Amino acid sequence: MTVPRPYALLAEITYRCPLHCPYCSNPVGASLRRPQGDGELTTEEWQRVIREAAALGVLQIGFSGGEPLTRRDLAELIRAAREAKLYTNLITSGIGLDDDCVRALRDAGLDSIQLSFQSDESSLADEIAGARAHERKLDIAAKIRAAGIPLSLNFVIHRRNIDRLPQMIDLTETLGAERVELANVQFYGWAFRNRAALLPTRKQVDRARDIATAAKARLAGKIDIFYVLPDYYDTRPKPCLNGWGQRYLTVNPTGDVLPCPTASSAIPDLRFENVRSHALDWIWRDSQSFNRFRGTEWMPEPCRSCPQKEIDFGGCRCQAALLTGNAANTDPVCEFSPNRAIVDGVLRNTNSSNDNAGDWTYRQNPKPELTPV
Amino acid sequence: MRATTISDLARPSLAKDVRLQIDSTTGKSVLLYPEGIVELNETAHEILSRCDGRTLGEIVRKLAEEYEANSNALAADVRDTLSDLQQRKLIEFK
Repeated sequence: MTVPRPYALLAEITYRCPLHCPYCSNPVGASLRRPQGDGELTTEEWQRVIREAAALGVLQIGFSGGEPLTRRDLAELIRAAREAKLYTNLITSGIGLDDDCVRALRDAGLDSIQLSFQSDESSLADEIAGARAHERKLDIAAKIRAAGIPLSLNFVIHRRNIDRLPQMIDLTETLGAERVELANVQFYGWAFRNRAALLPTRKQVDRARDIATAAKARLAGKIDIFYVLPDYYDTRPKPCLNGWGQRYLTVNPTGDVLPCPTASSAIPDLRFENVRSHALDWIWRDSQSFNRFRGTEWMPEPCRSCPQKEIDFGGCRCQAALLTGNAANTDPVCEFSPNRAIVDGVLRNTNSSNDNAGDWTYRQNPKPELTPV
Repeated sequence: MRATTISDLARPSLAKDVRLQIDSTTGKSVLLYPEGIVELNETAHEILSRCDGRTLGEIVRKLAEEYEANSNALAADVRDTLSDLQQRKLIEFK
């Protein structure tokens, strides 16, 4: 099999975060297992990872987490990425970003900031974040714009906020963002644990899709709207990662290299390699974890004989593992999966009850830096 | 903006958060933007590398000269390419 080159590196530089969003894709318990600071890659180690990634062909890096601003060496890491000619995007809650910090990041060469919002107004947004954050984010968005750094917004959409999609799009216009990602929640990490409280109803999903489609047409050329579909409601799986080990790689805070950020917790029987013991090039090309689901040879039926197999790649390995217990199964979202009944059962529960969907469990941190509401 | 409505006097430029770069693995031009990469075909590369403050009319004239091409046909191609990129917020007109 010829091994392709990767295009993008997601650098999850920490799992620490001042927010407690119940849909966080970080592994449940990871931040508790690895207490603050301990075990995180050092500045020098990240600089080496960045250089190795660029040499492998990576063109783009996203600094994420957790909250990447909790690391004091963020500007140094951005500088290293720019020296390696990578496009640098900061994926952040914004909390912790003051005027000096914005300037330092800009001067380090940061290309863009993607700022997350939980909703369009503070009462619901702060309830979702489990922290008083919304008003600060508005102020931070203004600081980012004033410093001349291009701004994108990200909203994770779920049962509690999906009805406010029009107001979220209005906020994007008001804040002068270039792009907005309206991402229906995907069920991994904390979101999987909180699925019953987060999964929207079919009626909500249908309305949201119409609103997003209309806004995309209305704002074309002004704001780029990227709408991430709620895959449980689809009949074909998402082409997750454009195929395992094809375009993307993630390095987590302690240096494990993953085909996607959720793989280590969703697929416990797969062993992932670490940048402290292996070169990134070897991990990408030769490690067992990156080759396990690369290409189409691994596929079972119905994928193996399916004409869609080079289009959706059998869907998402993590989703197959979480829902069926076997990462090598067809993604059960697919209408041809023998396990589609699992997804249908979840949808039936969501759409048949008139009751409140119930409470969620907030994402936990070892040392919360903001008092939960 | 529809291709036919772009004025000859419009000045196309890369959108604020977009970078034009050579991919050292393939030698081809790419546009880089937040969480996105677009590989450019030769036409798009030739057009975008001339979007340096010049007007659309000037870009067409320059390309027609260099490639000894019919400027009407060329103008339509340039408009189509730029319109597509503008709809995706990869370029803007000033």
